[in-house]
Amino acid sequence: MRHEEISGSVPSLIFPRQTLVSLLVFAVCWEALSHLAPLLGIPPFAIPSLLRIAKSIATITPVDIAVTLARVIGALIASFVLGLALAMAMYRSERLEKYLHPMIRILMAVPVVSWILFAVLWFPGVEFRIGFVLVVVCGPVFLVDTLDAMRSVPRELRHMMRSFRPTTWQYFFKLMLPAIVPTVFTSWKVNISLAIRVVTIAELVGAVTGIGHQLSVAQELFSVADVFAWTLVLVALLFLLEAMVSRVEARVLRWRA
Amino acid sequence: MNRRISGPPPIIVRGLRKVFRQATTGQPVVAIDRLDLIIAPKEVVAIVGQTGCGKSTFFDLMIGLDAPSEGSIHIGDRSPHADFDYFRGRIATVFQQDRLLPWRSALDNAKLPLELIGLSEDEQRERALTWLNRLGLGQFTNAYPHELSGGMRQRVAIARAFSVQPDILLADEAFGHLDEVTAAELRETFLALARECGSTAILITHQLEEAISVGDRIIVFGKSAKLLADIHVAHWPKKKYALLREAIQSTLQTNRPDPRLGHASSKTRSSPRKRGPRKNTQAQP
Repeated sequence: MRHEEISGSVPSLIFPRQTLVSLLVFAVCWEALSHLAPLLGIPPFAIPSLLRIAKSIATITPVDIAVTLARVIGALIASFVLGLALAMAMYRSERLEKYLHPMIRILMAVPVVSWILFAVLWFPGVEFRIGFVLVVVCGPVFLVDTLDAMRSVPRELRHMMRSFRPTTWQYFFKLMLPAIVPTVFTSWKVNISLAIRVVTIAELVGAVTGIGHQLSVAQELFSVADVFAWTLVLVALLFLLEAMVSRVEARVLRWRA
Repeated sequence: MNRRISGPPPIIVRGLRKVFRQATTGQPVVAIDRLDLIIAPKEVVAIVGQTGCGKSTFFDLMIGLDAPSEGSIHIGDRSPHADFDYFRGRIATVFQQDRLLPWRSALDNAKLPLELIGLSEDEQRERALTWLNRLGLGQFTNAYPHELSGGMRQRVAIARAFSVQPDILLADEAFGHLDEVTAAELRETFLALARECGSTAILITHQLEEAISVGDRIIVFGKSAKLLADIHVAHWPKKKYALLREAIQSTLQTNRPDPRLGHASSKTRSSPRKRGPRKNTQAQP
């Protein structure tokens, strides 16, 4: 037995020194700029001080964060299930793949803003609009990633598995699905980032709750501090979700060298 | 669980032909051209041939993953391709590379074919552990493939194949990539277990030493799996193994049966060698 230590890629929550230094430098520059703004002819509200931003952060309503988070997670789960089911069907049927592939390409080429406009015109319910936009944007990414991963399962493993004569379900559940797990995690990380950005835009239009709505309110009030605060929340949310996925990934993929 | 009641059935290959079309030119390529062969139950047969002679195509046809273009392979009265599901748990394979599933531990890899035939969890575990222990891997049942050496991984692959106690065991150059000491050790183990299980074993190899040391019979394939020689190893005294090796080598090089292989080349049927050490009392070539 090779005495190799399994070096899991468990993400560390301790920031490296370089990250802290660069964040500190950015904060100092921002603070300096906020004080120098009037001298430079920039309106004071455009570059608020760190204290003003901190005050905005203190007023953030957790319910809006929770709503946005629920929308993102719900839509990602729906997108994943839909994408995976379609990928499995397309892997099984070459004919289906030939019919669906052009549609998927077209879906992926449509800009997010167009989807939002379609959603506003087609659906009356706000939640359905946001869910629709998220699923239609993230679903194809999951589909394409999982289908590619299925096709990349080594021929040797497929050959070995088939030699033991599995049923179709056994073939999928004992070979294909475990084999695509690493790609699925990568796809989740990509889609979390995508979903956070898309949900913000979708919430700008018509929503009365959520981070996107709060950003819209901040924009109407010319409150750059609030915009900054909510943006920080979005970034923190993204990092938190990615860290959670990475933790699960490290645990599930501990078999990797 | 052992579904075998009266031992494995004979393997009968009649007029087997396999033609592929080249992907680029569309030209037909004859991989196997009218092969006739009978393999007796419990026989251990080594198939040797040069690269590209159709050995691996024959292997795939035996597994049932491919259909013959013409002719037939029958195991008993069933075809491994047409009756694909019937042979679940009855045919097992060991490949050149271990082909273990990297996300499964040694134990879970050995359990794989048992899961496919639907044994209870307890029985799967018990049987897989038994075979891993027999192959000297009792301490490594929870190790993942990347934590094992090449020889150990191949042992897991052998345990996986034997765990279903198959009628037919197929090995495609299963020991060729290992160092000579490990390969010899695994060959011995494989042979002993195959005989103990009463399985018919077909080993595809390009190593004459391996073929001579393992097979009751050595079948020499020429181009397009033309049957050049069908040698009953028991007919050759051990002191003439060097001559046998030379004769097979010459057969492979000239793509024509070497006269030194004598009458043994014309036979297509035999009985398996008895268990235990080879006796050199057969008619000499």
